[in-house]
Amino acid sequence: MKKLLKNILSITLAASMTLSLAACSQETDGGNNAGNADPAPNNGGGNSGKADKIVLWTLSNDLKQFAERYTNETGNEVEVVVFDSADFKTKINQTLGTKSTDVDVFVGEPQMLPDFFEAGFSADLSVFDSQVKSRLVDYTYQAGLDSDGVLRAISYQACPGSVIYRRDIAEKVFGTDDPEEIGKLFASFDEIENTAAKLQAEGYTIFGDTGALRWFSNSSSPWVKNNEIIVDQDRLDYFDCAVELYQKEYVAFAPEWSAAWYASMAGPLPMHAEWSALDEVSDNSQTEVFSYVMPSWGALIVRDNAGDNTGKYGVCSGVCSFFGGGTFLTVNEFSKHKDAAMQFIEYCTLNDDTARWWLTASKGDVVSNKAVLEENKDFKNESFGNQNTYGFFLEEMDNIDYGLITAYDDACKDAFGAAIISVQKGEKTKEEALKEFYTVVITQYPELKIPENAPINN
Amino acid sequence: MNEKVKSGIAKFFLYAFLIILAVICFLPFLMMLINSTRSGNEIMTGFSLIPGSSLGTNWKVVTENMNLGRGFLNSIFLAVCNTLLVSYFSAITAYGLAYYKFRGAKVIFTSMLIFMMVPSQLSLLGFYDLCNNMRLIDNYIPLIIPSIASPATVFFLRQYILSVMPKAILEVPRIDGAGEITIFHKIVLPIMAPGIATMAIGTFVGSWNSYLIPMLLINSPEKRPLPVMVAELSAVRDITTNLGATYLVVAISIVPIMIAFCFFSKYIISGISAGSVKE
Repeated sequence: MKKLLKNILSITLAASMTLSLAACSQETDGGNNAGNADPAPNNGGGNSGKADKIVLWTLSNDLKQFAERYTNETGNEVEVVVFDSADFKTKINQTLGTKSTDVDVFVGEPQMLPDFFEAGFSADLSVFDSQVKSRLVDYTYQAGLDSDGVLRAISYQACPGSVIYRRDIAEKVFGTDDPEEIGKLFASFDEIENTAAKLQAEGYTIFGDTGALRWFSNSSSPWVKNNEIIVDQDRLDYFDCAVELYQKEYVAFAPEWSAAWYASMAGPLPMHAEWSALDEVSDNSQTEVFSYVMPSWGALIVRDNAGDNTGKYGVCSGVCSFFGGGTFLTVNEFSKHKDAAMQFIEYCTLNDDTARWWLTASKGDVVSNKAVLEENKDFKNESFGNQNTYGFFLEEMDNIDYGLITAYDDACKDAFGAAIISVQKGEKTKEEALKEFYTVVITQYPELKIPENAPINN
Repeated sequence: MNEKVKSGIAKFFLYAFLIILAVICFLPFLMMLINSTRSGNEIMTGFSLIPGSSLGTNWKVVTENMNLGRGFLNSIFLAVCNTLLVSYFSAITAYGLAYYKFRGAKVIFTSMLIFMMVPSQLSLLGFYDLCNNMRLIDNYIPLIIPSIASPATVFFLRQYILSVMPKAILEVPRIDGAGEITIFHKIVLPIMAPGIATMAIGTFVGSWNSYLIPMLLINSPEKRPLPVMVAELSAVRDITTNLGATYLVVAISIVPIMIAFCFFSKYIISGISAGSVKE
């Protein structure tokens, strides 16, 4: 009896401690408001000496170079803190969730931005609206708008996608390495299948892996429209194409980011390397990969890993124009140095000199500044067989339809990709896989509907 | 004869098994050391047991992008503070719970056991809020002080001291008129030392490797401990250019743990095996 009493007592003690913790966290709301109102003059007074110094949280070293240049030119200090991208969102949510003033400017990738906007972390940048709209690449403007059309983030770079192909192989198989002509070989999913077959006949593979096709999954309609998931003919073509490339072994089975994939940029590689190290692959058949589908930063990866193939690559358009990634700058809504922060963002994104400098300093980054891209339109890029890459990307970006982007894209693409893989491996029929795709998306976003005329019922 | 052959075969398999285990344990370390001498490109394209020639380049990337010495000092400071606090306060708590009879001792002990089962990630949000309201963000205090309360260590040490020290020992100094704190410092602490060392190395390694909480609470680059700096290093540039450098820093950052282990391993082994037969 006594023991039981003790046990009960200890549990209540533990429970009460937990409850008091919970109570504490509930009080923080009230405490926070009071705290916010109260320390403002205090902190302001303490910091007045270095009012211009702003703190920037970012995901790579790029902005450190911007900050150095900015400090040299204006004398205003910027402290740049780099975070690992895996935890960056947690860090921002945690910090700004408590209305912290510790950071003034932070970055975000396009897919993170809607969450930041919705949470109210990003300050209104509409003072720059007209400038951004007219002077920067359109899709970067669109990506910085929140759901009400208020500008909250601006990017200094643009990441248009392209097909990066081997000119020497093109010359050999198709008799031309002209980007226009090669682009035609990638113009539709049917065309890609034909191209792949021709390449196979000569002992080449079209892509490292069928995953390359996923960049074209937004070719004609958004993934979700009026809360309906859309799988149109183009997406079914994409599905079939990915399955066919896989089953007919038109690809090298070297998935993106695998050792084999990196190696394929520099020379021949064994088929079916998958994720293993190259010297472990038992398959004797050697192949060379013809092309990669990637955003502009991917073109730089290909360039940097090309080895003996340096200068033998070219870029051309694919099934549709697309973009991927990019670093957007946004001001902390709770920042105490909003003006200084905005000044810095303006310097990074809307200053022609900065864009000109970054174009060369970054060794090939595509900037978002249209005028500067226009100036470099005729620049012959040695790494890409003297192609006018900036001119090409400028045109590509005009074709990007930002209206096709929805908040559901990542989930839909992932689920669709998984469906494709299950058919490729013969685990499911196409119909089963599509059913599975709808179920997966609906489970994640119950507000969505499966269209009545879904191809699955046909 | 037959017996001998049998035991010989058994021994062969036993040794083969142990050798395989040793290789499995050792290989990752070896690969880390080798990879720290290769360029990111080489690492991405394959695996090799022959050291590369990029050690110098990797070192340059490291020194250009991070303040290694600062990170080391920060990490050592945090780990040493944590280890000292955990060791001392857990020992004194464990001693109190084990040998003093007071009202509620059992209740306190049981509730500590219950708290031991709550994963620390669960309280992370609340902890951040608390630190924020106490204006302790970007400060070492929340990374050090909470280690005073370490229920798992207290639990281990309580069981340990009950098994190694008969209560009768305490009667001698009491008769001689020693104060309770003196008894703890002069008699109990030395007896508990092996147990404390076991827990200390765990705490040291845990603190040395801790990433999530420092990452969330520390904002200034110069206050970051090593693991957060390593994460930063792997982020600053495209992965292929600094993978080798990241390996290098990780290899360097493991050194103190190895040293700590060398110092304490004697205690760990005796600490774990203690209590079974010891009188």
